[in-house]
Amino acid sequence: MSAIDELTAELARLPGIGRKTATRLTYFLLKQPPDAVRRLAQTIQAVTERVRPCSTCGNLGETDPCAICTDPKRDPSTVCVVEEASDIGAIERTGEYRGLYHVLGGFLSPLDGVGPEDLRVDTLLSRLANGSEVTEVIVATNPSMEGEVTATYLREVLAPLSVLVTRIALGLPVGGDLEYADGVTIARALAARREMVD
Amino acid sequence: MELSRLTVRNFRNLAALDLELPSRGVVIIGENGQGKTNLLEAIYYLVLFRSFRGAKDRELVRFDEAGFFLAGESNDRVTAGFDAHRRRKKVTVAGREVKQLGQAVGRIVAVVLSPADRDIVAAGPARRRRYLDVLLSLSEPAYLRALTAMRAALRQRNAALRRGQAQAAWAFDIPFATAARVIGERRRLWVEEQAERYAQLCTELGERMTPAMAYQPHGGHDAARDDLEASLAVARERDLRRGMTTVGPHRDDLKLTLGGRDMRHYGSAGQQRTAAIALRLLEAESLRGATGTAPVALFDDVFAELDSGRQERLLALIGELLPGQSIITAPRDVEVPAALFDRPRWQISGGSIAQ
Repeated sequence: MSAIDELTAELARLPGIGRKTATRLTYFLLKQPPDAVRRLAQTIQAVTERVRPCSTCGNLGETDPCAICTDPKRDPSTVCVVEEASDIGAIERTGEYRGLYHVLGGFLSPLDGVGPEDLRVDTLLSRLANGSEVTEVIVATNPSMEGEVTATYLREVLAPLSVLVTRIALGLPVGGDLEYADGVTIARALAARREMVD
Repeated sequence: MELSRLTVRNFRNLAALDLELPSRGVVIIGENGQGKTNLLEAIYYLVLFRSFRGAKDRELVRFDEAGFFLAGESNDRVTAGFDAHRRRKKVTVAGREVKQLGQAVGRIVAVVLSPADRDIVAAGPARRRRYLDVLLSLSEPAYLRALTAMRAALRQRNAALRRGQAQAAWAFDIPFATAARVIGERRRLWVEEQAERYAQLCTELGERMTPAMAYQPHGGHDAARDDLEASLAVARERDLRRGMTTVGPHRDDLKLTLGGRDMRHYGSAGQQRTAAIALRLLEAESLRGATGTAPVALFDDVFAELDSGRQERLLALIGELLPGQSIITAPRDVEVPAALFDRPRWQISGGSIAQ
């Protein structure tokens, strides 16, 4: 295999990148000044060497425990459970949440061989064990069937603990148009309607 | 409903067809193995986006070709392409690719009548559940959505049961039961509403004994009236032991009886055939009621096996229930009732059509 083919094959393994895009990227890189390419290679290498999962929450960062877990300004009484570390970024960007996180590392999918023991549930339970400051667990798994089921499973597992378990709301997107929303979403939004209080 | 134009590329033995279909329909004559049923299968593929004969997509690709392509025009242009190499199916409606096949199902509505329909009566419960599922999915999108959701939850639940992951399996009870309730209820309602009409159609087709149909929940469990979640809870140990979900609409049956006896085991070939035709006519009538237009009728060599009395009675019912476009196939002219020759006659041979 030629060096060009080899790089194309490596790039094509990345998510969302097919054969065609991989080829385009390869030729793009070949046209770049050597410095720029070296910088890219070093950055990729550095990120994989320096970044590791936080042993407490599973977030990805350069320190363990991660910057969020060690931040004294964060509220240690709430833990928000997400499927992937990348979900943390989405919630952080809102600036609305000041508590801590817990990354499951996926969702329940027996068809793909992912059972409860493959998720970071044990570490969540040990975080909530005796003497913990946590009073609320927010389950923020995806609104897919498997995400819902994972949330149900967590509710069962957390039920014996004296901690409030909440689920993020599901419904119409903000700024969306009711007319164009799909039936399932509208049905969910109707089911989760709330009384208007002033 | 009318299919005005049909394009076929590399589907079974049909290499390339570009047909303008007359609004009354057409009679297609050809010896066995020339492609008559393949043509009807191609048309019906645009209804459900899978083979009505239960074939896999890759088996539908013409020998040595990379994939097939179909296009049909009625109110919208609907296309379906399959790339055998990448195992990818692409379906478009009015030029736009649909994200989920369900969004395209029912754009074209048709009913197939074929000698293989006897299986609906004679084969196992799965065949009859499929009959109900197809008909109700084409009648209302909500049914198809529930069916898809129920199957997805069931696959996950069963995978967890096979692996002995009890808690993961029970977590799928809610999505499964939520969808299953819709399925069980809709099926039962339809059967109750149509039972009398079914008996009437059988009688009109010449059946002399008393026909009946009833929805029969597996093991007597009643998903519509009882609490399915409770039944699932009761069956937990058995489900774990057997590695599968043992209660739910995926185990139910449509019970067809004649004089109180199960048609599947005690019906004669002729009686089963009559019941199957009655079910197809009921499907046509029901779809017409739900969609507001008569489905395209696809008759796959169904007249030859009926005696002249039954043939005449069937023709009378067709005139009433399937008054729209009809595509009729037969190996020879003589096997098509003369009354149907008020439409053009085409010859099919080696996958090509001569008009």
